[in-house]
Amino acid sequence: MTVRFEHVQTRALSKVYGPTRALTSVDVRFERGHVTSVEGPNGSGKSTLLSLLGMLTRPSKGEIFFGDRAVGKSPSLRAAVGVLGHAPMIYPDLNAHENLRLFAQLYDLPNLSERLQLLADRFGLGSWSDRPARTYSRGQLQRVALARSILHAPQLLLLDEPSTGLDVASVERLVAVVQAERERGAIIVLVTHDDPLRDRLADRRIKLAHGRVVNEEAEP
Amino acid sequence: MSLWSAALLVLKKDLQIELRTGEVTVTTGLFATLVTLLASLSFFIDEATARLVAPGVLWVTVAFAGVLAMGRTWSRERDNDVFRGLMLSPAPRSALYVGKLLGTLVFLAVVESFVVLEVGLLFNLQLAPVLGPMVLLLVLGTIGFAAAGNLFAAMGVRTSARDLVLAVALFPVIAPALLCGVVGTRELLAGAPLSDIWAWIKILIAFDLIFVTAGILLFELLLSD
Repeated sequence: MTVRFEHVQTRALSKVYGPTRALTSVDVRFERGHVTSVEGPNGSGKSTLLSLLGMLTRPSKGEIFFGDRAVGKSPSLRAAVGVLGHAPMIYPDLNAHENLRLFAQLYDLPNLSERLQLLADRFGLGSWSDRPARTYSRGQLQRVALARSILHAPQLLLLDEPSTGLDVASVERLVAVVQAERERGAIIVLVTHDDPLRDRLADRRIKLAHGRVVNEEAEP
Repeated sequence: MSLWSAALLVLKKDLQIELRTGEVTVTTGLFATLVTLLASLSFFIDEATARLVAPGVLWVTVAFAGVLAMGRTWSRERDNDVFRGLMLSPAPRSALYVGKLLGTLVFLAVVESFVVLEVGLLFNLQLAPVLGPMVLLLVLGTIGFAAAGNLFAAMGVRTSARDLVLAVALFPVIAPALLCGVVGTRELLAGAPLSDIWAWIKILIAFDLIFVTAGILLFELLLSD
């Protein structure tokens, strides 16, 4: 089932880990076709916010809405989320095509072979991609991870430090893919300490400190 | 996607990796061989003693090899944080548990078939007359052991004390399955018919049902923050 929504919104979102308050009553809204960067020092709650949006963690209080649907009541909404993190989330003992096929099957995608071929062409998965992923360079790993994160055309794309360890060419590829996803109409949330990347991609910036939103501004 | 379809995908992936690397079956197989060999050298005094010692050696080997196998198979999910990728997918999260459980059962079946032969050979046992009931005990014991073990091993994916969790917390939980397996095997080797060990088999079936059901129901809850 394809779920469509125009925005993602959090309402009074809080997360507590034992005695630690990771997020406190966060109200933010992410719009379709926009890249929103979430900034803040280490421990400000950025990763917790991404985990909550990715449904890897449950809120202690508050709710997340994909359009008008509350996330807690619709776990099937996971199909609408793509995540690219620093770790590539692919099996080192499988090659790129086997990894992508596995995830495409878990997302129950139709026209599997055709879709995987398109991805291979788009991401330039050459002869190197037939080797096990453990032999890939950082740039090659990130290329496969990028393909994995968008193979199901997610409506919400979460990027967590996506440029860490990448060379200039790989960063350019990343920028091109994120811009294409924005054009497609994806809602994109970017967490990065890479200022040039953020300046190139972000349409809007949200600043977190001590688990609270302290500033919101649109890029000029 | 149904739970079974997703679980079979996870199983297929584990088998594909294992066929390529042999990591789990080779390491656990060698470990199991070493344990049975050392035990036979230490405990084989005469045939009567061997019949008493062999069940313990068999089940201790299965338990230790199983812990090793589950630790290895779940460490694959930790590499590259791929477990997070699976949890992000829309497939039922308990399918990951079921798939890993099925994979563990396949790996342990391979290792146990060697262990049974080795124990029979090294302790000079006549296994042919009791092979059927013994395999039944092993299958049931392994299902319960692997059902509980995979739940603990999965919890270990997100904790740095994963080996401690698996080794310290698991053995008290699986003690009933191991006890039933050891006592049932001992009775079989002493010449008892299948009807005499039926009570142990019923306990093992109950243990399996409880832990497989608990695993499917609790997996997502235990893996969430």
